[in-house]
Amino acid sequence: MQGFRTPSDKVLKWAFIASVSVVLLLILLPVLHAIQLSFYHSESFVSNKNWVGIGNYVRILNEIIFWKALSVGLIFGCLTIILQVCLGIAFALFLDRNFPGIPIIRGLVILPYLLPTVVVALAFQWILDGTLGLFTLWSEQLGMGRPSWFENPYLAMAVVIVASVWTWTPFVTVSFLAALQTIPKSLYESAKVDGAGMWARFWHVTIPMLLPMLMVIILLRSIWMFNKFDIIWLLTKGGPSSATEHLPILAYRRAFLQYDVGGGAAVATLSFLLLSLLILVYFYYYPLEEKGGSH
Amino acid sequence: MKKNNELINDTSKPTQSINQGKIQRREILKAAVAGAALFAGGAPAIHAQQKTIRFLNAEPSRDSVKALRVAAAEYERISKVKVVIDTVVPDEAYNKLQASIAAGTPYDIGTLAFAGHVFILADAGKLVPLNTLVNKHKWGPRILFPIKGQNYWYPYDYNFCWMYYRKDLYQQKGLKVPTTWEQMAENAKALTADGKFGVAQPLGNNAAAQWMSLGYMWADGVRMLDDNFALVLDNPTNKPKVMAYFEFMKKMSPSMPQGMTQALFGTVLGQYSGGQVAHAPYAGRLMEVIEDKAPDLVSKTGFFMYPDSAGKGQAVNHGYDGWVVLNTPMKEESLKFMEWFTENQYINFLHSAPLHFQPARLDVYDDARWRAHPLVEKHADLVEFMKGLLTRKDVIIRSVDTEGPRIDSRPGKMFETFAITEGLQNVIYNGMPASEAVDVMSKKYRTVL
Repeated sequence: MQGFRTPSDKVLKWAFIASVSVVLLLILLPVLHAIQLSFYHSESFVSNKNWVGIGNYVRILNEIIFWKALSVGLIFGCLTIILQVCLGIAFALFLDRNFPGIPIIRGLVILPYLLPTVVVALAFQWILDGTLGLFTLWSEQLGMGRPSWFENPYLAMAVVIVASVWTWTPFVTVSFLAALQTIPKSLYESAKVDGAGMWARFWHVTIPMLLPMLMVIILLRSIWMFNKFDIIWLLTKGGPSSATEHLPILAYRRAFLQYDVGGGAAVATLSFLLLSLLILVYFYYYPLEEKGGSH
Repeated sequence: MKKNNELINDTSKPTQSINQGKIQRREILKAAVAGAALFAGGAPAIHAQQKTIRFLNAEPSRDSVKALRVAAAEYERISKVKVVIDTVVPDEAYNKLQASIAAGTPYDIGTLAFAGHVFILADAGKLVPLNTLVNKHKWGPRILFPIKGQNYWYPYDYNFCWMYYRKDLYQQKGLKVPTTWEQMAENAKALTADGKFGVAQPLGNNAAAQWMSLGYMWADGVRMLDDNFALVLDNPTNKPKVMAYFEFMKKMSPSMPQGMTQALFGTVLGQYSGGQVAHAPYAGRLMEVIEDKAPDLVSKTGFFMYPDSAGKGQAVNHGYDGWVVLNTPMKEESLKFMEWFTENQYINFLHSAPLHFQPARLDVYDDARWRAHPLVEKHADLVEFMKGLLTRKDVIIRSVDTEGPRIDSRPGKMFETFAITEGLQNVIYNGMPASEAVDVMSKKYRTVL
């Protein structure tokens, strides 16, 4: 705070304090409250709370359903991130070219990201409807029968992954496109002069230059996808047979539907700790400043 | 006051102007005393006008909301107490009620559709007993759910689920109303052809599936919990019955449209009223819907209870809805409102879904006002069938969330695990042997008991 000396600095200081206070109030307090709840047994948010210490954690960690939900979350998170990043880079490379109509195409690419999740979920439900769904009818016409999109555990997982990738790839695309446009053309020209082909230029120029952005994207998408609740809940509610039930859905189910507020809070806290650990490991191996600074 | 104003405004008279302050203070004092007297006299009326009861409604249909708003306006007119009606979908009611309590702005009256929710709120001291109101009338079976001798809720709807069928298609195919699972499966199979399906039975992890697809199992006498809330679903008596039920549903599954794990209440209504399925489980709402959307189906539609495996028993799945009064500073006013509402507006409210809201109060069935509704008159046979569900001794009334010797949160937890619908999915879609599916299901239930 020593740097805040001029009147405008003082305004800045108070604005900073105000914003930090709001963050603390709206984020830290609920997080602390959730952690506190995880040490109590309570059937509802209005019932009496009984202190159980780490009892909820012991119980949750001994339940197969917790580990299944964790593995479902990891599978969902990893596959959606890999697909979003690969497709995002591919689309960004395509959109980085100049050809007639490119501004319009660039505008259209962002469209899925602008749609509310509930609209996306409804659209997918209709497309995959067992009786009238477009994809269901096409599949039948191609002689593959009517797939049980939401009854088969693997297909249900595939549906939530595809819906997620379809919705959030545009964000990755736009981010990479912005990063691509900052790469100096001279680097490509030099590589070309040195005899580097298209693939060599991609691997040795494009990818290293995209690396800082790639790291940020993977980090952000990991946090978002690991905590992603809405699309799965709207499409499958975690079913069939818990095949798409990951930790956020398990936490919600426990706290709000199964009269186990402490258990739900324990699942949410464990999820929070796992994600924090993941991020710490990530930063240890890929410190953003160093990577960013090297370029 | 005019005189006083003149004095105040007359600045040319210094003596008077010196006294001006005294006069003003005196006048102000007089005015204050007069105001206070006026306020004291009018206080009860003003205070009453400011009283507001907040009512959380979970019947979102246009007619039900309108019926409540009309009642609220009428009550405000006669009592000067304002009744604010907030409406949410049934699934949101309990969470909204909890949130309102936790936030320190509780609703005064709420709608609940789970006995477990009533139990939790009553146990936490958040509800007011309604014995005086409830004891004024006679009620049907398994609807009051008393807690330690106190009735904390006022039911308005049984919400039973039974089966509807297409009488015309039965006639065409020479079929008879099924009295066994085997006959039911055969009928459904016979009516499956050319893009039409024999039966719609939701199979997802949701309330719709547990309301619409378990009746066959109840008809066979399956019990989930004993009198000590211990799970008996997998004991030597019940396990073979549950396995047989799973196998029966698997046998019937080719006669169902695709996507049954996604099917909700509206899906089934749409499939039946659209002529896509020949059998559909539902309460009176289905008849109301086809009266509105597919009137040609009305005379072609019959109904029966869920049959058992051997032709000896029949059942309906329990639903139920009711109101609770919360323990708020407005509880006395809320009780007064409820007393007035249940005596004067109860039937109007029931008329907002005349066939769907199956009266829980037995006097309503003989009430000329209720009977006078055109749909109740027209569907006298359905109404008699519905009344018979309450009076016949051979009808089994069951649901997951009301299992056990009395109301408790444990059956509610079982309901929300959806272990039984997962059992159905495991057998029907994942090829799991029925015996294993019962074991998996029982294990999951035990985790919440």
